[in-house]
Amino acid sequence: MKRYELIVIGAGPAGLSAAIEAAKAGMEVIVFDENARPGGQLFKQIHKFFGSKEHRAKVRGFKIGEDLLKEAKEAGVTVQLNATVVGLYPEKEVNVRIGNEIKHVKGDAVIIATGASEAVVNFPGWTLPGVIGAGAAQTMMNLHHVQPGKKVLMLGSGNVGLVVSYQLLQAGCEVVALVDAAPKIGGYGVHAAKVSRCGVPFYLSHTIKQVEGTDFVTGVTIAEVDSSFKFIPGTEKHFDVDTVCLAVGLNPMSQLAEMAQCQMEDNPKKAGFVPAADEHGRTSVEGIYVAGDVSGIEEASSAMIEGRIAGISVARDFEYVNEVEFAEKVKGFETALGSLRQGMFAPGNRGKKIEKTEEGIDISTNLLKKGYLEDEVFHFPGVKKIKGLHPVIECTQNIPCNPCQDACPKGCIKIGEKITSLPDVDENSQCVGCGMCVASCSGQAIFLVNEDVGDGMGTVTMPYEFLPLPEKGEKGKALSRKGEEICEAEVVDIRLAQAFDYTNLLTIKVPAEFVMNARFYKAI
Amino acid sequence: MEKLQDRFADIGEFIPQEDDDVIVCRCEEITKGEIRKAVHEGIFTISEMRRYLRNGMGLCQGQTCGKMVKGIMAGELGIRPVDLTPATARAPMRPMEMKILANDRNEE
Amino acid sequence: MRIEEHPILGKPEERKKVTFTYDGKQLEGYEGEPIAAALKAAGVMVHRHTKKGSPRGIFCAIGSCTDCVMVVDGKPNIRTCVTPLVEGMQVQTQNGCK
Repeated sequence: MKRYELIVIGAGPAGLSAAIEAAKAGMEVIVFDENARPGGQLFKQIHKFFGSKEHRAKVRGFKIGEDLLKEAKEAGVTVQLNATVVGLYPEKEVNVRIGNEIKHVKGDAVIIATGASEAVVNFPGWTLPGVIGAGAAQTMMNLHHVQPGKKVLMLGSGNVGLVVSYQLLQAGCEVVALVDAAPKIGGYGVHAAKVSRCGVPFYLSHTIKQVEGTDFVTGVTIAEVDSSFKFIPGTEKHFDVDTVCLAVGLNPMSQLAEMAQCQMEDNPKKAGFVPAADEHGRTSVEGIYVAGDVSGIEEASSAMIEGRIAGISVARDFEYVNEVEFAEKVKGFETALGSLRQGMFAPGNRGKKIEKTEEGIDISTNLLKKGYLEDEVFHFPGVKKIKGLHPVIECTQNIPCNPCQDACPKGCIKIGEKITSLPDVDENSQCVGCGMCVASCSGQAIFLVNEDVGDGMGTVTMPYEFLPLPEKGEKGKALSRKGEEICEAEVVDIRLAQAFDYTNLLTIKVPAEFVMNARFYKAI
Repeated sequence: MEKLQDRFADIGEFIPQEDDDVIVCRCEEITKGEIRKAVHEGIFTISEMRRYLRNGMGLCQGQTCGKMVKGIMAGELGIRPVDLTPATARAPMRPMEMKILANDRNEE
Repeated sequence: MRIEEHPILGKPEERKKVTFTYDGKQLEGYEGEPIAAALKAAGVMVHRHTKKGSPRGIFCAIGSCTDCVMVVDGKPNIRTCVTPLVEGMQVQTQNGCK
């Protein structure tokens, strides 16, 4: 039987990262992946990631994927695609299907990095063509350049539902509603705000009653639910749609670990049925490790670091790396991982009700229940009334993220050592209007505002990631955070730059009294 | 050690519900009602349910309906999903044709 | 509908156009893209009917749910979302298990 020093199952962010670390330490590594392309879900992520520089903040998911593949190649990692691992045994024998054969191979060590699969919910009509997973929408739009449909209803307000809704808008689809049975939005407020300002309404405490159509979806009916998730009569709302997207959760694909007789645990903080593992990824079976979503649902950023930790741990357990080097490296990785697991959405905070930010400011319930901020936006340190041009940062939840701080050449924006802190705008800001903060904010929560440019007018510069790009001089309407038309707007500038990485800067001129409300633009 | 479920638990009568007609196993077209009824007919474990109704035995081999079936059975039995006797996880983990299993190669 | 220019991804890279048949009708697609993508672009929603006659189409698009299977070049149960399109392929709506 062919023997490898390390077999990694899954060439997603965790698997590739693990393979790279082990290979760099000198191990012979092979990665098996059942897909035709490596990178797992990474290449479908066209949005900018959060975190800090070490976490690749403000870099788009697919670019991180490309860099990871390059690093794997340079480290001498072999990635075998279209290779489905169908069996894993405690003795670390792996059965892998390649083409029309089953091959038996053995690993001195095995890292399971198989990720997660989408959860489903059922309702009358859910099997009709047109009901798809949110991942399916992403695959079609971002990998295959095809629209999944023209009019879409999204079920689920976690980060996947929010981010994919925005991506549907970018792909030119109409999102008629974002629905969630929960009373509040599950994902980041900034992701919800991006979608709200485009006019997509949120329906919390609602879920799908039924989907209609004969051969395919033609419409959907939602209704409000009470605290026991029972439908409240008379609250039905109907939408004409051709597509319904389900973004209702992820389940770790841990069957291989089960088969290999790893001890399993049902852990709500890890969002599922996962193999029990220590902080270095070791399962209860010697020589079998886990990394990434299969060991607990988090973000891709966490998966990559977990992968590195597992990779270096294998290298140390097999004496490719000495104790001192291991301790130093793993400490660096653990610190980076720890800093991601902070803030309002930390895994440790799952299920907890958080009412105030770390700074003691009331969390916006409007943002949680409706998807947009209202006047409470002024309570936050990033939002201040300052004379002249200045940044307005509508970042109101503690999330580990700080690219805005580094972006400003004039030091107008301060977050500090603790990267979950809300960004603070200096009252004496010397803003020169470069717009780097606007383009660097992965949450698209930063605007440049000038309350007085003369003639009773003001300007607002906003991030704009849609086509067609508005043209200088064109007239349209400014939309509020809720996506409602509030006033006339004239496009005074549209800036594209390589440093902005496709987050174009759109500047509109509006009557001065609207500058603190105009947050999006629509051509007429 | 395998968890043993109480096979003599009294779980009450089968009470029809409004959503009994909704499909759970897409591949074999098994409805929620059929699964719930089967529990009341004495099918208390996932493995037995698969063999009785064929849910999870279609083309996708339970990839899609697995968790939902677990939840429905647990709900009917009045226990947590994790307390259901788990089905044995065994190869092949992905559906494949028999002829491929026959093409078993030992790489030297 | 195909996305000819995307605000982040730009234009898709150059690909070779191929023809294939869908239930006898000639359609166009790009070599190497999943059959399901070419069908979606052509507006096809129904890929198969179940034993009980229910219409099914794309659901997971990642090769896991098997709802999008069709008869391709005479072989049934081919997952169209992960099978690359080839010139001259014959794709048919699958009814039941064949």
